[in-house]
Amino acid sequence: MTSTSLSVPSGSRLLRSGFLLPAALVLIVAVLVVAPLLRILLSTLTPEGLAAWTAVLASPLSTNLWWRPLLNTMLLGFSVASGCLLIGGFLAWLVVLTDVPGRRFLGMMASLPYMIPSFAAALAWGTLFRNSRLGGSAGFFETNGLAIPDWLAWGLIPTAIVLIAHYYSLAYTIIAAALGSVGADLVEAGQMAGARRPRIFFGIILPVVTPALIAAASLTFAGAVANFAAPALLGLPVRMQTLSTRLFGMIETGQNERGFVLALLLIAVSALFLFLSDRLVSGRKAFITVTGKGGRTKRFPLGAWRWPLFAVALLIGLLTTVTPVLVLAASSLAPQSGALFSNWTLHFWIGEGGGEIAQGQAGIFRNPVLIDALWNTIRLGLVVAFTTMLLGLALAYTIVQRKGTLLATLLSQLAFLPLLVPSIAFAAAYIALFGAPIGPFPSLYGTFALLVVAASAHNLPFAVQSGRSVLGQISADIEESARLTGAGLIRRLFAIIFPLAIRGLFAGAILVFVKMVRDLSLVVLLFTATSPVLSMVAYRYASEGFMQFANAITLVILVVCLAASFLAHALQNRVQKWKEQ
Amino acid sequence: MKRLCSTALAAFLVLPAAAMADDLDGLTPEQLLPLAQKEGSVTVFSLSSRIAKIEAAFEAAYPGIDLIGLDMSSTKQIARVEAEQQAGVHAVDVLYIADSPVVFTKLLEEKRIVNYVPPRVAGVLEDRYKAPLLTQRLSTKVLMYNEKAFPDGSPVTNLWQLTKPEWQGRVLMVDPSQRGELLDLLTEIALHPDEMAAAYKAEFGKDIEVEDGLEGAGEQFIKALIENDLIMLPNSDVLNKSVGDVNAKNPPVGFGTYSDRRDNEKEGWALQVANNVEPANGILFPAILTIADKAPHPAAARLLIDFMFGDDTPTGGPGFEPFNVPGDYAVRPSIADHPDSVKLGELKAWTIDPAKTAAARGRISDLIITLQ
Repeated sequence: MTSTSLSVPSGSRLLRSGFLLPAALVLIVAVLVVAPLLRILLSTLTPEGLAAWTAVLASPLSTNLWWRPLLNTMLLGFSVASGCLLIGGFLAWLVVLTDVPGRRFLGMMASLPYMIPSFAAALAWGTLFRNSRLGGSAGFFETNGLAIPDWLAWGLIPTAIVLIAHYYSLAYTIIAAALGSVGADLVEAGQMAGARRPRIFFGIILPVVTPALIAAASLTFAGAVANFAAPALLGLPVRMQTLSTRLFGMIETGQNERGFVLALLLIAVSALFLFLSDRLVSGRKAFITVTGKGGRTKRFPLGAWRWPLFAVALLIGLLTTVTPVLVLAASSLAPQSGALFSNWTLHFWIGEGGGEIAQGQAGIFRNPVLIDALWNTIRLGLVVAFTTMLLGLALAYTIVQRKGTLLATLLSQLAFLPLLVPSIAFAAAYIALFGAPIGPFPSLYGTFALLVVAASAHNLPFAVQSGRSVLGQISADIEESARLTGAGLIRRLFAIIFPLAIRGLFAGAILVFVKMVRDLSLVVLLFTATSPVLSMVAYRYASEGFMQFANAITLVILVVCLAASFLAHALQNRVQKWKEQ
Repeated sequence: MKRLCSTALAAFLVLPAAAMADDLDGLTPEQLLPLAQKEGSVTVFSLSSRIAKIEAAFEAAYPGIDLIGLDMSSTKQIARVEAEQQAGVHAVDVLYIADSPVVFTKLLEEKRIVNYVPPRVAGVLEDRYKAPLLTQRLSTKVLMYNEKAFPDGSPVTNLWQLTKPEWQGRVLMVDPSQRGELLDLLTEIALHPDEMAAAYKAEFGKDIEVEDGLEGAGEQFIKALIENDLIMLPNSDVLNKSVGDVNAKNPPVGFGTYSDRRDNEKEGWALQVANNVEPANGILFPAILTIADKAPHPAAARLLIDFMFGDDTPTGGPGFEPFNVPGDYAVRPSIADHPDSVKLGELKAWTIDPAKTAAARGRISDLIITLQ
């Protein structure tokens, strides 16, 4: 399959030899990813841009502009990735492979934190741990007489904790999807050979889900590295800068070239990291688990550990989901942002306009814009999730099929890059690229299509990574059998690949949907005034100082994400009936 | 041949339009109105969501012209206009924008925007508010303190006091390497070396010695302030809570926005401006109204800018009222300062000059980055 002959194939052979799909993909990725990146790169090759390279890398500024933020960023990236693997992996193991009580409930809790914006988690941290460094009212612990040292209130440690609390559910979603497809035959074979439980876990299950672990590590690493809200809220008061806060600052103060240089360097460093992790996977044997023979997943009995482990999982869930949601909910009800738990009012939700509160603004459910925005948001999320997953699956398919080739390496590297490009740079590059008509294609400026194109590119890493971790386990012999009976690529895709990969695909689609529904920076530059989305409405309120309205809308966003996730779970169970008990 | 035709056609269409734009600058609102109604709509990027109120008022005053207002921070406006125009898209008419030094270098010098002064108010505005770009109102970044904790007035009367041990770790500011306005504030301090040196002498009774590598007393002050554990914050919300909390015992001071005082009662703050400060308590900076290059609705754009300068009443009428809050200052003299605010003439703040600030802020930005 992977060895195409070197002679130039004829037209019909072109189709059959599977040359067309990779070629189309290379073209799409070039347009979606390479073109905007080139645009950013080119803008740093002007005289101003070159001066920016010098300033960042070889000047008295380098220490504070590049090296120290780089160190902080990498520390953050590695600690968050490892923390997420540990917690996300633990929960995924518990929920998918054991007989822990309340599995569905725990699973739902574990997928929740990713839907809560990271700034809410950071605010929640402040509500509990804020100390007197900034003056004003202290957090819960200091108010109750417990002195909180600076290192626990501000800087790298709280930032890492908050980001782990936010991103572990991303790791959970990916790992759980992969564990769900570990065949019972493997585990049973191990048991019959007399292997003990740890042996089965470390010797069989762990190696099998390694691609998913790597995917989870890459995505959480990149997420932590690119996150702005948490390091800004918790790091700046002790002057901890990361590359993302530096980058934001450069663009905010009009030094675009320096910002782009930092972005490119960040991409380079992360790409190196990804390359190394890629080598780690391709250097070992592939473990194929979806073979068409295996039965449903067998669960480990936990015995006496059932309830203690349930308690641990519940505690993690409570701390990372309930606390931020509580803070959000309380702040949408409290008239004063300083006193969250007093004088609650429903005004910000359903109040009538014209009164004293909120400068006469009516509650969000009386705002006609809201329904409009809600509809736009859902439409955008659905369309982008669909297009991205389709593209992601095709890419993942090609990457997996051609594992080890230059093409596969190139595609997987490129598909990952958009994650590290700051949205504002990405969006600006997109307007500049697609704003004007290109040849026969009309200008996409101000259209829904431009937003879908840009958002698909931006979310590609999620789609590809989740597609890969699932496809990597599907045995080639199933497809081979189908091919022998004469099934074409499309037929094989829809009859075999889709049904087998659907669980992972849904998991990926949810991630993309959630990301899209929450995202603001990409949307705000590309969308027009006439089609608001929820995050833009929230931003509008927040920028006017109406934090309660903004928080209320954030909760609405959360509800939308939750509903989507329930729906996806329900669908997963419907389409993969053989997984049911 | 075909190309020649289209060139000729383009010349025929564009030249009169270009000439017309010049003519439009001299028209009164009454003369602009029919042209604007023919254009039918006007698109504005606005730094303030109060544009929604302007939309209602404008459409009531001038029926038949649809105002499309899009909230966007100044940074995003700049990024969008740059990207759009590079792509040959001219979709926006009016920018309502702050961050003037960046606007100056990225938009004005690149001819992405044009300055327009409505004839109706041209005669009454001071020259510095008319060029290089039209200022609609002034906003502030000034020293704020807690008036409940310090009932006898501001605890700080000279900027140099902030570099003394008693204010160590107790001066707050949104990180100037993250937010343009605060960078502008420090730049303005650096641009007044003589006044900063005089204030130093008044506070310490001796002449200031400026270290090598620093230019003037202003830069020396910036270094001293940052080394005295200036606390940098992510946003002004955190700052207001920290400085203004009515229950605070010994609250810090901070460089914030005067007009945030309007939320004192609602939020439980006691924010007050420290006005009696040598040599100045901060900066006044312009909120700019300007027209995008090749604006698709040139007449409506001019009509809107004219409208946002308000009417002859002391509050400015529906065109200005949304912006008439304590701590924001209209540049149109007939509009009175809000009763709760220090009069503009009495506010001890420097008004920034966007061009000068733009030229100097790169150096100050670098200085701040090396000191952090």
